[in-house]
Amino acid sequence: MDRDPLIRRKTAISYKTEEKTVMRGYNLSELAEEGYSFCDALFVMYQNRIPTEEEEKMLKYEMGVFMEHSMSPSAVGAIGVSAGRPNLPCTIAAAITTFGGVHGPGAAHGYMLNKYIERAEKEGRTIDEMAKILVDEYMDAGRPVMGMGQPQHIDSDPRAEPIHLKQEELGLEGVYLEFQRALEKHFHARRKAEGRSYVGVNVVGSGNTALMEIGFSPNAAWCLGSVCRGFSCAAHALFNMKKGRAWGASRNEPMVQMIDLSMIKYVGPDDRIVPKQEDRQEYARKQKEEGEYKKWVI
Amino acid sequence: MGNLTDKPELNAKKGKIGNLDSPKNPFDYMKREYGTVPLDTKRAPFQWVSEVAYKNVHRIVSRGYDTTEVMEEGYGVVDMLFIDYQARIPTVEEEQMLNYVMIMALEDGLSGPAVMSRIVAQSKTFLTQACGASILAFGHAYGAYSAFGNRLENYLKLAEAEGLSMAQAAERLVAENLQDEALGVSDLMLKDPAAVRMFARAEKLGVAGKYIGFIKEIVKAAKAVSEAPVDLDMLGATCATMLDLGFSPEATWAILAVTRSFAVGAHYIEEVEREGYRRTGQTLTPKEFYDGPEDRPVPPLRDRSKVAQSGICHTVDEWARAREEKKKLVGSGHSIVEEIEDPSQKSGIKKVGKL
Repeated sequence: MDRDPLIRRKTAISYKTEEKTVMRGYNLSELAEEGYSFCDALFVMYQNRIPTEEEEKMLKYEMGVFMEHSMSPSAVGAIGVSAGRPNLPCTIAAAITTFGGVHGPGAAHGYMLNKYIERAEKEGRTIDEMAKILVDEYMDAGRPVMGMGQPQHIDSDPRAEPIHLKQEELGLEGVYLEFQRALEKHFHARRKAEGRSYVGVNVVGSGNTALMEIGFSPNAAWCLGSVCRGFSCAAHALFNMKKGRAWGASRNEPMVQMIDLSMIKYVGPDDRIVPKQEDRQEYARKQKEEGEYKKWVI
Repeated sequence: MGNLTDKPELNAKKGKIGNLDSPKNPFDYMKREYGTVPLDTKRAPFQWVSEVAYKNVHRIVSRGYDTTEVMEEGYGVVDMLFIDYQARIPTVEEEQMLNYVMIMALEDGLSGPAVMSRIVAQSKTFLTQACGASILAFGHAYGAYSAFGNRLENYLKLAEAEGLSMAQAAERLVAENLQDEALGVSDLMLKDPAAVRMFARAEKLGVAGKYIGFIKEIVKAAKAVSEAPVDLDMLGATCATMLDLGFSPEATWAILAVTRSFAVGAHYIEEVEREGYRRTGQTLTPKEFYDGPEDRPVPPLRDRSKVAQSGICHTVDEWARAREEKKKLVGSGHSIVEEIEDPSQKSGIKKVGKL
């Protein structure tokens, strides 16, 4: 049996022999036998260290509240893919890849925090001053402040403030939480001054702050969040596969299905005749000249 | 609302369009309606139906438990897996065992998922794209948890239906599946005690059950008939333990694929940190790797009728001969058979692969 690696790479993450699998120097079996948790192992993986008990509790909490979020883009992605009844991993892959610049943008939030904390250090400003600068720069530019606002939880994400509180309860307050708290203060103040509605902190704003505080890089934190959501999205896909109707368009179900024909609302160009091939060149030239098509180009 | 309409003025101007006036067509293509279908007011409107979870403005609730309250009570992400997939709070021992299993499933060196992640990383993508891609590496050979689990369940049912002992059912399973990649018994762990240690831990925690018992019988049966040394492997140990923890084969597949994906994020990061990105057209395939047809001139288009070969077979005999010939062309797909069936209830139980 061919047991060679699939690609040749130097790696500082792990090695695997016929005798054992070793991650960052620790034999995986020994790590598990010693009674460490999966969350402990994630610290070893991404930070090459055994965490304190409080740090482990923080990660366990953050991943626990983030894992299930009912119908979000990630669950909808998984359910949508499951309609064609592919193998289950395809639905999970779809769910995880929905995490981008808007849905759970953990890395973006992390990079934002790092950038402004670095500026505070270089420009000799306090955390509070720099948080106000961030809010002003983002809002002046009309850019969304990462970590603020959630389209469904309009009174603030129910997970968000409890994460901050847990971080404080565990004694894990550091520069990131100080910055995030200041950011939220200035964000709320500016919106209030402008007569705008309240927009609360979301789970990225609080959860990612906690993950950064306990030492995870922006991308590592993003991985923990988005991959963790894969657990619950797989459950949603599995429910639909085992107990729902394939395709999602059956007319025999008592409820109109996800992609029933009546779910389609069309707002494109009017119905029109397909030109004959003999008319094609003239038709196409005229169409380009008139340019009306450009308003439909995406 | 929809706007279905006939628009005869459009249809009338069209004249003949290809074969659309053929009487073989199931309806009159020249009288097809335009517009979208109106909303169905006779049935309930569409909603996202779920047994798993719901949320409102102020709560996220999984299987009846408010998830924030679950965490505030001191539970964690591993407990949430039992809640989401089994609608129950696990015992302390079950939670400990799942932690153990997930640590063991986290890292596997430069195996498929890590390589998938690294290859995607080379294209300069989001990390999430690489993590998602890694999940696609889980099939019915690598990470064959659903295939293995469903097979175990099938043979246990068979044993019950036919009154077989565990040992007899195991012998039957081995006789019928000895060469399968998802047997759970192989030569992969002869020097690594990790699989055996997992069972020892499950027994110590008191969570070992009928699945671990059954795979032990399978190991015995496989050892008795295998010419080469074999033993319990990580697939068999991990999956049997997960089944004894109450997870279905599909849930096991999902949970362990996602678990591995936590580690491939690190592989993505390391690839970006240590290696360069790869551009379109950059990667070469040396001629010495190639064993296809010799280099040859492209025939002039005007000579197409002289050089073209029809692929149409008019008789079954002709088809059978052509098929055998086609199988010789590697990369054509003719030498592979797959049974693409609805995997909703059970997956990985059909034999697929090379003919």
